[in-house]
Amino acid sequence: MHLVATIRALAATTIASLAVIACGKDSTSPGDPGTNVASCPAIDFGPKPAALTLPQASPAALATLGNGLDTVRYQAEVAVRGTTAYTTSWSVRRFAGNKVSIWDVSGNVPLLVDSLIVNGASTTGDVAVSDDGKLLVVATERVPGSIVIYDLTNPRKPTLLSTFTNAETNPGVHTAEVGRVNGTLYAFLAIDPLGSIPARLVTVNLTNPAAPTEVFTKVIGNPYVHDTFARNGLLFLALWNDGVQIWDIGGCGTGATPAAPKVLGSVKTLGGDVHNIWWYHDPNGSKRFAFVGEEGFGTVPSASSGDIHVIDLSDLANPKEVAFYTVPGAGTHNFSVDETNGVLYAAYYNGGVRALDIRGDLGTCDPSQKALDVTSNLSRCNLRLMGRELAIGLQDQGKQVYIWGVQYLGGFVYASDMINGIWKLKAAK
Amino acid sequence: MALGVARDSAAGQTASLMAQAIPVFTRADPTATRTALDEGYLSQPVVMATGTWNWLSGVATLNLEGLTLRRGELSTGAFGEGFVDRRHPHTYAHELMAGGITQYFGVQGSLFAGRGFVPFGSDDPMVRPFEKYPINHHLSQILERNVAVAAVRRGPVILEAGTFNGDEPISPSAAPQYDRFGDSFAARATFLPIGGLELSASGASVKSPEVAAGSGVDQRKASVVGRFSRSTPTDWRYALVEWARTDERAARRLTTRLSTWLGEAAVCHNGFVGAARLEQTDRPEEELLADPFRTPRPPIDLSNLGVSRWTTLTVSLSPPAVGRWFLTGRPFVEVARIGAAPGNPPGVFNAQQRYGTDRMWMLSAGIRLRAGASHGRMGRYGVAAVNEEMPMVMGTDSSSGGSHQMMGMHHTMTNPCTL
Repeated sequence: MHLVATIRALAATTIASLAVIACGKDSTSPGDPGTNVASCPAIDFGPKPAALTLPQASPAALATLGNGLDTVRYQAEVAVRGTTAYTTSWSVRRFAGNKVSIWDVSGNVPLLVDSLIVNGASTTGDVAVSDDGKLLVVATERVPGSIVIYDLTNPRKPTLLSTFTNAETNPGVHTAEVGRVNGTLYAFLAIDPLGSIPARLVTVNLTNPAAPTEVFTKVIGNPYVHDTFARNGLLFLALWNDGVQIWDIGGCGTGATPAAPKVLGSVKTLGGDVHNIWWYHDPNGSKRFAFVGEEGFGTVPSASSGDIHVIDLSDLANPKEVAFYTVPGAGTHNFSVDETNGVLYAAYYNGGVRALDIRGDLGTCDPSQKALDVTSNLSRCNLRLMGRELAIGLQDQGKQVYIWGVQYLGGFVYASDMINGIWKLKAAK
Repeated sequence: MALGVARDSAAGQTASLMAQAIPVFTRADPTATRTALDEGYLSQPVVMATGTWNWLSGVATLNLEGLTLRRGELSTGAFGEGFVDRRHPHTYAHELMAGGITQYFGVQGSLFAGRGFVPFGSDDPMVRPFEKYPINHHLSQILERNVAVAAVRRGPVILEAGTFNGDEPISPSAAPQYDRFGDSFAARATFLPIGGLELSASGASVKSPEVAAGSGVDQRKASVVGRFSRSTPTDWRYALVEWARTDERAARRLTTRLSTWLGEAAVCHNGFVGAARLEQTDRPEEELLADPFRTPRPPIDLSNLGVSRWTTLTVSLSPPAVGRWFLTGRPFVEVARIGAAPGNPPGVFNAQQRYGTDRMWMLSAGIRLRAGASHGRMGRYGVAAVNEEMPMVMGTDSSSGGSHQMMGMHHTMTNPCTL
């Protein structure tokens, strides 16, 4: 120990003469949620769901209806409304990922009907349609980073309303979730880190989509904030190795707003790498569970890793991980949930699309259906052993797929495939 | 632990100063733009000072590539620190190390600390016979870290161990993560069987080099190097062979394995230097940005597009240096033939799609300008700095009144083979 201390002291003495360390605190808006944990009296998590006993059976194959092929750009996220789908693009393949493709998905085979080119973007990684169907919001990377907002009066011919960019969207907007809080539409932007620039969250008011306004910003995430999920006045933040943090942004009746959020609780799921979240509301009124996507290491288009983690929110200040789903050789990415039928669809990169039955109590299972993580001494239910694996899609096409995003809508599942474009599948239920 | 006195060194103080710069023209045909590209700049502008004061020795190397190579140096196949197909500019504070040497019972020992080279791999490419760095730079050297290196030497055997911060520089002017000092380790064993021949093996554990916050993939590195250098007043022969491997690991599991082998040799007679280098190196393929020469640092979640394998043959010719007073200039021309192929796993790498071809050329011509004595070897400190005649301090023979050694040769300012 003495030797180590001596070495450290010697090194520190020498190193101290090298350079002046620029120490700067990143600015935070008034209303910084800080670390104080607030309560949330207004949210009713509903009854504890009933335990379901399901036989473990081989998952069915999701029927593939058609493919809209794109092999000149890597496809990224997908958003669907009505009979129109929008897919974004990533990095540089033959061409840069500056395109949003517009697909007619009324038939079995998606047909490309138009596209948008976002000048200056190398990736248009995330896309969302507002809940009223009026706006299309596209996140762009890299420098300077922006969200581009389109009017969807004609869904097949979006018209540019505005581009929101400022010093705090630099060097890029990785994800942009759109959600309504007490009647007002917001976009929650996860900003990339770059070099010494830290990652941050930026919240934008979209009341006037032609002139969006920033209402909140905070440096957050370890090493970055990757995604958010807004619902019922709560904001779930995917903070990578800092796990999941839950903020009151107006749903708890405590005076918090998107501009002045309050921390409610947090949880670090096993393995970290928290990538995305979905807070599930089941048809019986239970809001107890959220699903967390872990994105581990992957190589396009052959390998990926990372599990789905289920967290129990009944004690909002101390959420607990209670279950998981794992696929050997593949890892999860984005989710979409058919809440009426209780089916979670997960994009699984080289593992295609996975459909899980998420009805009932996911935190209670037979001891034979549990797995113990020795390092953390955490015992969790294994959804596969619980018979929750309903169906698998796009593993029977005779070619490699790498599924980035999925969306369930009206009995169909739409999957964006980085390698092959967009797929339309029949839903599991 | 106290620093010892260099008991067998000449007492008193010595100091030396040198500066170099290489105006170079490069044509890459094709490169990342899928077209031929011609560029010229001032490469490797360096000011290096060495000195001893009583038992204390030090070296400071100021590298000004942050001013002259801000966009990086065109070098098809190169990668690292957010650059691809360009070599990144090094940090201004390239090297700032201090320490001392001692000897007990026939065993020499040294302890050096500061910012500099980790005891791993082979010599820095800047002090080897080619202007263009090999593609394997990031597999075969670890540099510009806050490092403490202890070394012992007895006879022909040298053992080194060091600890350092794993994060690689994020810009020429950026400070390292001081609180990460000590999170990474390296060790190297060197055997000197006969004069001029040097055999070494080294390993390193590097924590999260690409994510400064410390949560990126870790690296386990291994290297084996054989090096030969022998000179006379008019001739010089040099050869180096190396194998190195870097395993990238996430959650303690192997995710990517990158390997390289390289052989290079140089011959000099009456000032004419001919050199050739053949290497095969795996390169990680990453998310590309709008600028085809840049990749994001830190990488954001999904960024791995597979591995490519680069095979490069480089030939270099250089006529005798010309000089006046303390200034010298050695012209050179280098030609490289470059092949790119899918590695393991291939991912989505396709050389035809990326470059329009899988065979490329690169031509470089310029002149090595130098003021003062030539560079010493870079990458070893204290008793580990091998001089065929005597222990070197900071890779420079500090006891010879500024007559610096180049690559282990017994060069002086008048040696016609000095690069």
